Amino acid sequence: MSSFGSEKRGAQKTTVLQQICSVRLGQAIYGVPISHILEIVGQARPQPVPLAPEFVGGLVHYRGDVLTVVSLRQLFGLLPQDGRQDILVLESAGGCFGVLVDSVGEVLTASSADFETNPSTLGQARRDFIAGAYKLQNALMIMLDPERLDPVRLGAGEAA
Amino acid sequence: MERCLTDLEERPADAELIADIFRSVHTIKGTTGFLGFKRLEKLAHSGENLLGLLRDGKLAAHAPLITGLLQLLDSLRSILKVIEAEGHEGDGSDAEMIAKLEQLQLPALEGASKPIARAHAAKSKTVAAQKGDATGDPPVLLEAPPSAPPVSSIAPPPPPPTVPGTDAQGGHIRTGLSTSTAESTLRVDVSLLNQMMNLVGELVLTRNQVLQATSSDPKMTLLSRRLDMVTADLRESVMKARMQPVSNVFSKMPRMVRDLAQALDRRVRLQMEGQETELDKSLLEAIKDPLTHAVRNSLDHGIEPPHVREEAGKDPEGTLRLRAMQEGSHVILEVADDGAGIAVEKVRNKAIERGLISAQRAAVLSERELLQLIFLPGFSTAAQVTNVSGRGVGMDVVRTNVEKIGGKVEIDSRAGKGTTLRLRIPLTLAIIPALIVRNGHQSFALPQGALSELVHVPADQAGGTIEWIEDAPLYRLRGKLLPLVFLDRLLTPSSGRMGLQEQDHFIAILDADGRRFGLVVDGLADPEEIVVKPLSSALKGIGLYSGATVLGNGDLALILDPGSIAMKAGVTMSSDEEAAQTAGSAAEEVTRGAEFLFVEMGGRKAAVALGDVLRIEQIPHRRIEYVGMRPVINFDGQLLPIDDACGVLAGVQDGPDTPVVVVVCRDGTRHVGIVVSHVLDVATGSDLVEAGTQLSTQGVTLLKDCVTDIVNLGGIADLAAVEETRDQLDPMVEAMR
Repeated sequence: MSSFGSEKRGAQKTTVLQQICSVRLGQAIYGVPISHILEIVGQARPQPVPLAPEFVGGLVHYRGDVLTVVSLRQLFGLLPQDGRQDILVLESAGGCFGVLVDSVGEVLTASSADFETNPSTLGQARRDFIAGAYKLQNALMIMLDPERLDPVRLGAGEAA
Repeated sequence: MERCLTDLEERPADAELIADIFRSVHTIKGTTGFLGFKRLEKLAHSGENLLGLLRDGKLAAHAPLITGLLQLLDSLRSILKVIEAEGHEGDGSDAEMIAKLEQLQLPALEGASKPIARAHAAKSKTVAAQKGDATGDPPVLLEAPPSAPPVSSIAPPPPPPTVPGTDAQGGHIRTGLSTSTAESTLRVDVSLLNQMMNLVGELVLTRNQVLQATSSDPKMTLLSRRLDMVTADLRESVMKARMQPVSNVFSKMPRMVRDLAQALDRRVRLQMEGQETELDKSLLEAIKDPLTHAVRNSLDHGIEPPHVREEAGKDPEGTLRLRAMQEGSHVILEVADDGAGIAVEKVRNKAIERGLISAQRAAVLSERELLQLIFLPGFSTAAQVTNVSGRGVGMDVVRTNVEKIGGKVEIDSRAGKGTTLRLRIPLTLAIIPALIVRNGHQSFALPQGALSELVHVPADQAGGTIEWIEDAPLYRLRGKLLPLVFLDRLLTPSSGRMGLQEQDHFIAILDADGRRFGLVVDGLADPEEIVVKPLSSALKGIGLYSGATVLGNGDLALILDPGSIAMKAGVTMSSDEEAAQTAGSAAEEVTRGAEFLFVEMGGRKAAVALGDVLRIEQIPHRRIEYVGMRPVINFDGQLLPIDDACGVLAGVQDGPDTPVVVVVCRDGTRHVGIVVSHVLDVATGSDLVEAGTQLSTQGVTLLKDCVTDIVNLGGIADLAAVEETRDQLDPMVEAMR
């Protein structure tokens, strides 16, 4: 969260531009800073893992490694979607992991002037993964916190 | 240097060796002095004094002296470790060590060594520098370059020929400065090698896809072929880069054997063979402990004290042989001693005493089965616990560690003659053979190591084959009930209980740490060599999977962990049962010779020794041809004589395509076929004894409580009769093809 915190402070003085990859999930648009994205694997079909925690969308093969994929739909309690979906490969302290989304959109350049932190009314369940939002012209782009999506962290949270 | 020292004990008068050791110590002293490590320098200095006397022939190398030197080496090492970790020498006094070394010098000390040592002080560089240009010319070697004060002054008046045969010894002690070893090698981070291995794996997969995509384009074929070849070579090279010679582990042994032999008052000669055999680095690490245990065991329990050996008419000096060799895709490590062997009776008594096995059970075990008991946890035959062994963890640890890396342990012992322990280690850890099984639409990999057999349940028998006690499914495997675990139900517990669907099923009989159970899967695919990829820790909590792998077709498959499945499904085993199980499986192994194929031939039952059965063929009746009156089968130009003593063939009248079952057996060097009506089962036969004479009978066995004839393979008429006609037949066979 800290990286977003600094932007918030920056917003009061100078505007900082950030490149953000937009992804679609149901009706909403979410954003992930491209600095955290290693690669976008399109049209992938992750291999399901029976008995895995709810949020695990499966496994994908990525450059010789087997990555755990977090299904954003399942994490947010939405109904799973059939068919091929896109995967964002993100880098975190513990290694790489994938995030399964409906589709990946364009990369936007957003100004920190348009950034707002989470509203106080946001439910606790989602607050953990959301770092705020950018106001786009006709929609909000909800920023995801890549660090918090790490399956290792999610798994630890679930166990606790 | 360690090796030199132990060697020195064997050949105390070897001047070359002494010179070698002297040089190593001297190098250490010089470089540490140069770097300002005072403590190290002092220690090395006192060692050098001692060695100087030794070199000059003023002292003779005897055991206490060598012990002293070895201890010196240990202190040097421990200081080096501190330096590595903390950047300074650490505190601590070496006065005791130094005093000890000085004490050892006393007999020959006449003050002569003082100037020698002083002259040495700053000269390490020159010696180190000369390591590279080893020549056979002693004066050149000992002469310093002109810029430095003459080293030759310290050379003993009649210098022993100091030809540096293996100067690399100094390199073992990591001074960080000894760059003298050949520059053709490079230190590489293991993690980098692992990454390379991963990337190569990836390349292999990409190659597979490229090959598939371009197979129709003739222009691309050539290119992709080349890609194919280069990839294969690259993969092999990277694998090779991870290999290290077993000498890395073996080299620790002489010192250990020496110390142990002294502590235990044994005389032992250590022989090592096949040190150049290579093994994957991670595996080499993994076998270090088991091997150490094995060697300790050999010294403590195996080789007897000298006086006992003499009484037994053996050489008072025992021999311990360490051998490494490659055998196919495995490396065999052998630890053999010529000691007392394992007293089977002692094993039996101990096992009963420790409650590992019941007395009744122990009474019926054969010698070899009893030997297997030493692998049980908590077993030790040592009368008392010493600091070397006797706590009963030894052999259990050996086996667990070796099995963890997919290896096997075999033991062979003859009382009075010695014991041989054989560790069979796979060449690489990352690649394991596995059977790919299907559950629904998903593939899973099942490690072959745990798989003992496969049973096919055809769709029409699915209902009847599996029996239930309440909700526990069971399968009758050769008369014994085996708990079953359904993979689909295990993975989707919510689906609830339902009868077996009308489709083919397969039962994989697994043996996970003594827990035997059958895993029911929907289908089998090919066995494959799989590359194990670790799973994220988020998935480790599930416990059923030991990793994931990428299959040849690019799909991902989870690797099932039989041990965890057994645990999850509640397949457990009390230790008593476990012991019985271990012994039982050993018993099966031993009595395999007495297992029979139970067949029916023309209305009567007969048995064929299972060891003789090569295969069972089902062929259409018309393939049986006749040479004279003799039925034969033509297998690709090879004639197989058929025995049809019971007239099964005559009974077949339904037409040329009616299948007949032929059991192909080995009889000495020839192969013969036996026509049978049905193959019934495989069963263990028990010997029958003749009433009165108590002689064991030939030709019959007790099979499933029925006295059954054993088919006498030797009695089947020789092919010689057929052989005569073979010359005429061969052209016919040729013509037929």
